[in-house]
Amino acid sequence: MLRKGILLGLIGLLLAGVGAFAQEPVTIEFWHSMSSGHQPHLVALVDKFMAEYPYITVNLTYQGGYGDTEDKVEASVVAGTPPTMVQLYENVITPLVEVLYPIGPHMTAEEQADILDGLVENNTFDGVLVSVPWNKSIMVLYYRPDLVPTPPTTWEEFLAVSAALTVDVDGDGVIDRYGTGLRPYNPELYLNYLVQNGGTILNDDWSAVTIGDQPGLEAMQYAESLVPYSYISSGYLSDVIGQDLLAMFVDTSAGYYYNVKAATDNGLPLTVAVVPAGPVNAKSAIQGTNLVVFDMGQTQAQKDAGVLLAKFLIRPENTVAWSLRGGYLPVVKSAYETQEWLDYLAANPDYVVMSEAMVDGFAQILHPNYGLMRGVIGSAFEEVILGASTAAEAMANLVLDLTDLLDE
Amino acid sequence: MLLPFFWMVTTSFKSSFEVMQMPPQWIPSTWLWSNYAKAWSVAPFAQYFFNSFFMAITTTVGEVITTVMAAYAFAKMKFFGKGALFAVLLATLMIPGQMLLIPNYVTINRLGWFDKYEALIIPWLASVFGIFLLRQFFRSIPDELMDAARIDGCSRFRFLWRIVVPLSKPAIMTVALLKFLGSWNSFQWVLLMTNRESMRTVPVGLMSFRSEVGTAYELLMAAAVLAIIPVLVLFFFTQKQFIQGVARTGIK
Repeated sequence: MLRKGILLGLIGLLLAGVGAFAQEPVTIEFWHSMSSGHQPHLVALVDKFMAEYPYITVNLTYQGGYGDTEDKVEASVVAGTPPTMVQLYENVITPLVEVLYPIGPHMTAEEQADILDGLVENNTFDGVLVSVPWNKSIMVLYYRPDLVPTPPTTWEEFLAVSAALTVDVDGDGVIDRYGTGLRPYNPELYLNYLVQNGGTILNDDWSAVTIGDQPGLEAMQYAESLVPYSYISSGYLSDVIGQDLLAMFVDTSAGYYYNVKAATDNGLPLTVAVVPAGPVNAKSAIQGTNLVVFDMGQTQAQKDAGVLLAKFLIRPENTVAWSLRGGYLPVVKSAYETQEWLDYLAANPDYVVMSEAMVDGFAQILHPNYGLMRGVIGSAFEEVILGASTAAEAMANLVLDLTDLLDE
Repeated sequence: MLLPFFWMVTTSFKSSFEVMQMPPQWIPSTWLWSNYAKAWSVAPFAQYFFNSFFMAITTTVGEVITTVMAAYAFAKMKFFGKGALFAVLLATLMIPGQMLLIPNYVTINRLGWFDKYEALIIPWLASVFGIFLLRQFFRSIPDELMDAARIDGCSRFRFLWRIVVPLSKPAIMTVALLKFLGSWNSFQWVLLMTNRESMRTVPVGLMSFRSEVGTAYELLMAAAVLAIIPVLVLFFFTQKQFIQGVARTGIK
């Protein structure tokens, strides 16, 4: 009888111990902007996460485009009801840092060091890695090898090739094919030119606007010089490339699938190269969002689950899966050494180019008003491309606008 | 005016290859009915259509009831501060909707309506523009009619629903149609006030075909054609009253 009692007692203790270690179910909200093209791949990754952590339920919620998501995040923070996790651009993260739960402190030093160098700084606030990079892409040069056998490697070459390939084939006075194409509102393209010419938007301590200095002005003048040889379209250039109206253009690698499909559907070849180098460097703008976990209205279990999900999504095998299926580029160094990615590069040489460009990319500045600054930079670029202002006029106004934003 | 509509319908049957061809291929070489099946499967459109209908019908009925009563009060009743109250009401039309999004989001959350039909319906049960439109129309109805009705023992409420409303059918139909259209097309409000897919509506579903890098135009147009059918049917049956309503509210 005594033995039975001891045995039952031991079993009871064992069960209590197991119970203590078992995880309580937790549900988190993850707001994203991935529409139907990317959504199935995100769902697959999140399903995989939930299989690995069965006590966590992730409610994936599509919140429209980036702008719609940002509006909703802003409103939800005011209401005190943000979700556990959201994908956001750096400039949107900056004013939210105080209500975010930093992810970095819950990562090992190895995990942090594995993130691509160019993506660490713009997720770090006051020395702490607050967010982690996620769906990242880079600006690359798309070109038609049948028209451009050797892609231009410098600004001068790009301008010369654009001019040479702007042609009136049938001699009716109307240009039938342009050397390149430009979207008028394209702040990232101007920033490419600015950085490649050694310019910056602001000085190091953000106390003065420097975009109007010689490098910035020359960058805008270079864009202006391309206008006569450019097909100007406010729509996606993938809509134009298939119509045999362009020879080459600079666009995000995230558009690779759409651009190549539009061209090849029409029997036109299209491939990529690194963007032509400016006088100072060949850096290219990194685009795409980062993952944040909110420290507002969340239980500790939800925050922990959010961190786990963020870390899971940037694991080498998962960032590779996301890149292969979503058209983005891996965000951690070790991903570039995985067999799956190497095999993919062997089969898709274009991605070698994109991967190399990604390592040397530059990210947004973290100024809290960057979103507004980006807007006025885009508008100034648009005025120049549409011929509403000269580069000098647009830059003069841009400096005034940026100074106002800096003073706010 | 019909060209964009024509392009929308024909594009909904094209292949992605034909969508952006230049010169435009107006008529698809092969009519791809499968675009409709594909578009339908991209998002839970059956649920979205149900929600859109439910939201549009309830807000339309609700708004007609509230605006008829409010407009009648402003047109035919005498009470202290009527002019000032009406001016304040009209002034609210000048506040851009975007400015109110965050306060409204906070209010809806505090009321516990977030992600519920209440959020999609209750705030839209009244309309200042509708009140203004009907007030102008009601003012054109002679007061003598009301005097005669009252002599016959008719209450104010009965007079409103038995005499004023039937006489104002074109204006009321206009208010109803505008409301139905507004609710049917509502995008930002629905996106902001809901999280669950089961609460969302057709315009949110149409966003599924766009991404930061490209758009599946043929599928988007197929879904757009489906989305526009109920509006076309409604307009077909109410166009006479709609045109009369707009025309007559402008006549003194």
